[in-house]
Amino acid sequence: MPKVYNWQIGREMEYLYDEARPKKQFAMVMDTNKCIACQTCTVACKTTWTSSRGQEYMFWNNVETKPYGFYPLGWDVNILDKLGVQDIDGSVYKGKTIFEAAPSGDRVLGYLPDDLDYAHPNISEDDSVGSMTQGAFMQVPHMQWMHYLPRICNHCTYPACVGACPRQSAYKRPEDGIVLIDQMRCRGYRECVRGCPYKKPFFNSITRVSEKCVGCYPAVEEGRQTQCSVTCIGKIRLQGFITTPQQAREDNPLDYIIHIAKVARPLYPQLGLEPNVYYIPPVHVPPAYLKQLFGGDVGSAIATYRKAADDKKLLGALLLFGATPDIMHHFKVTDRFAIAYNEKGDELVRVPFKEPIYLRPSFDEAYQTVRSNIT
Amino acid sequence: MKGMRKILYLAALGVGLSGCASTGAETDAAKPAPATPHLASQLPKPMPAPDGGLQAARISGKGAILDPFAKEWSQVKPVKVALQPQVVATPNNPTPAVSEINARAVHNGQWLAVLLEWKDPTKSDRLVVDRFGDQAAIELPVFYRADSSPNPMMGAPGERVNIIQWRAAFQADLERKREMTIRDNYPNAATDLYPDQVLKAMDIRSYMGAAGVDNPVAKHRDSPVLDQVAEGFGTLSTKLHQQADGRGVWKNGVWYVVIATPMHQEGANAPQLIPGNNTVISFAVWEGGSQEVGARKAWSDWVPLKLVK
Repeated sequence: MPKVYNWQIGREMEYLYDEARPKKQFAMVMDTNKCIACQTCTVACKTTWTSSRGQEYMFWNNVETKPYGFYPLGWDVNILDKLGVQDIDGSVYKGKTIFEAAPSGDRVLGYLPDDLDYAHPNISEDDSVGSMTQGAFMQVPHMQWMHYLPRICNHCTYPACVGACPRQSAYKRPEDGIVLIDQMRCRGYRECVRGCPYKKPFFNSITRVSEKCVGCYPAVEEGRQTQCSVTCIGKIRLQGFITTPQQAREDNPLDYIIHIAKVARPLYPQLGLEPNVYYIPPVHVPPAYLKQLFGGDVGSAIATYRKAADDKKLLGALLLFGATPDIMHHFKVTDRFAIAYNEKGDELVRVPFKEPIYLRPSFDEAYQTVRSNIT
Repeated sequence: MKGMRKILYLAALGVGLSGCASTGAETDAAKPAPATPHLASQLPKPMPAPDGGLQAARISGKGAILDPFAKEWSQVKPVKVALQPQVVATPNNPTPAVSEINARAVHNGQWLAVLLEWKDPTKSDRLVVDRFGDQAAIELPVFYRADSSPNPMMGAPGERVNIIQWRAAFQADLERKREMTIRDNYPNAATDLYPDQVLKAMDIRSYMGAAGVDNPVAKHRDSPVLDQVAEGFGTLSTKLHQQADGRGVWKNGVWYVVIATPMHQEGANAPQLIPGNNTVISFAVWEGGSQEVGARKAWSDWVPLKLVK
């Protein structure tokens, strides 16, 4: 098998194809601390992409409660269990990826979920770990905890769906790194469903082929962020493009958050796909669990995030989440504003570091009424 | 490259033969013989080996022979063909469920028809994420030369093969006689409006996924077979003009599947099927109940096929 470099695990690894990074790589940052699992993203995606026959059960975007929520049931614990104990300490991952652990006769280590695993998309919603005991008190990390994990396809640099498909029906676009399944070429073998550890390809039982999150490519081609990003009421998402750590540009908000400030981490990097959705870890969750989810550097990511006020560039980049529907390629910060620009350098939006406060008189002369909402 | 392919191919044969001896037969050994009168006596007693190959008997009549229980089939004795696991390409299943099939062939000068019979205790024609359909295929070389057959494993670059695949799910489409709905797969499903119920026909294609781009497996079909060509692993492509036909019947733990193809076709994808001539044929079976699909299959080497004049 060809050797490719995966910066997230700090080493070369085996993959089905040669390294072929796209011109631009679709990426997203999600701040789990701000997600309230309102599922607005889920519904926006559903109404945009999966309202048709055979797609009834599909959620290309879903939000699950961790650690007990899964869609499909047990997706992550199942593949972690198959992969065995993983040594994720240090900057170089010493264990095997799902490509290196592929059983004889298979292209990747995977499993096919049961049909019923998709039957409870929001199972264990809001279920916490542990129970409140006498003398419990608020501390960070929390004694009893759960957190929300919004998920889309990771549009991986080394997609398992692409590697697993024997017909080259799944492919990665060279122009933006979005991973798609060719709806004409796919024959519904479900090797992608079996191979993807994140279980984001779905089998459509009416069209009898597999489908997946399309990264809202028609919007992205027009310089607009995905539906799940622009509809997010909590402004937890920033979708744009990412480079490699060596090529990181300080004026790219995603590069700054991921490569320079290092406050956002990929999901299960030890699986070896170099996923391109990055999570700012939840600060209230015990580090041992977060380490399993986001790899070894999660502690420093949380520490930096909690001191974001000390890094004006980081704070500025975080303020851009949900500030405009357009894709922000560049940004800069001034004393008062974080300013974002499109690919051509046109200004898209400027967000004040400090919202101005407007005070209105509590008595409205025009309507002869008393107001309580005066700010 | 060619040498390497041959080595791989021989390796596959070795593994395949040892593999098929221990599989398949165990799973359905206790099944009763089929009840269909003229086949019941023949299925357990095929010709001992396919050394002499398959003879496609000449029969009278016109049009495609599609009925697996037509009286014409009793004119030819079935030939037993051993199937091996496909283990050259990945992904694969080294222990496929079906290790042998009975095959026989007839032609009427216009259509060649092949009847395949194999034991399968479970009829699998419902496709949901963890359910796969039973399938069978015949393979014919597009250009046949007695001194050099193409690679039987889906051909090779420059060695094009015609692969005609029957699918139980397509057969179910035909018998349903209407478009499939979610309730065919999940009888208690509750649904809201679909885009195709509120939009104009010209606007719904983009909502229909594979059906919207006329993927041949996504549409309700008039025939249970796909007429395809390949030049090696991963290259299987559907022919523009679908002329082959077929019919499958599952009865008492046995699939009886007819795959028929016109003998006179134009173009670079048409096998040469001339009465009086020899060619070769090979077979593949997918047992849906064992999650066999795509490259996870049982296949046969080339079997000589004589088209009786």
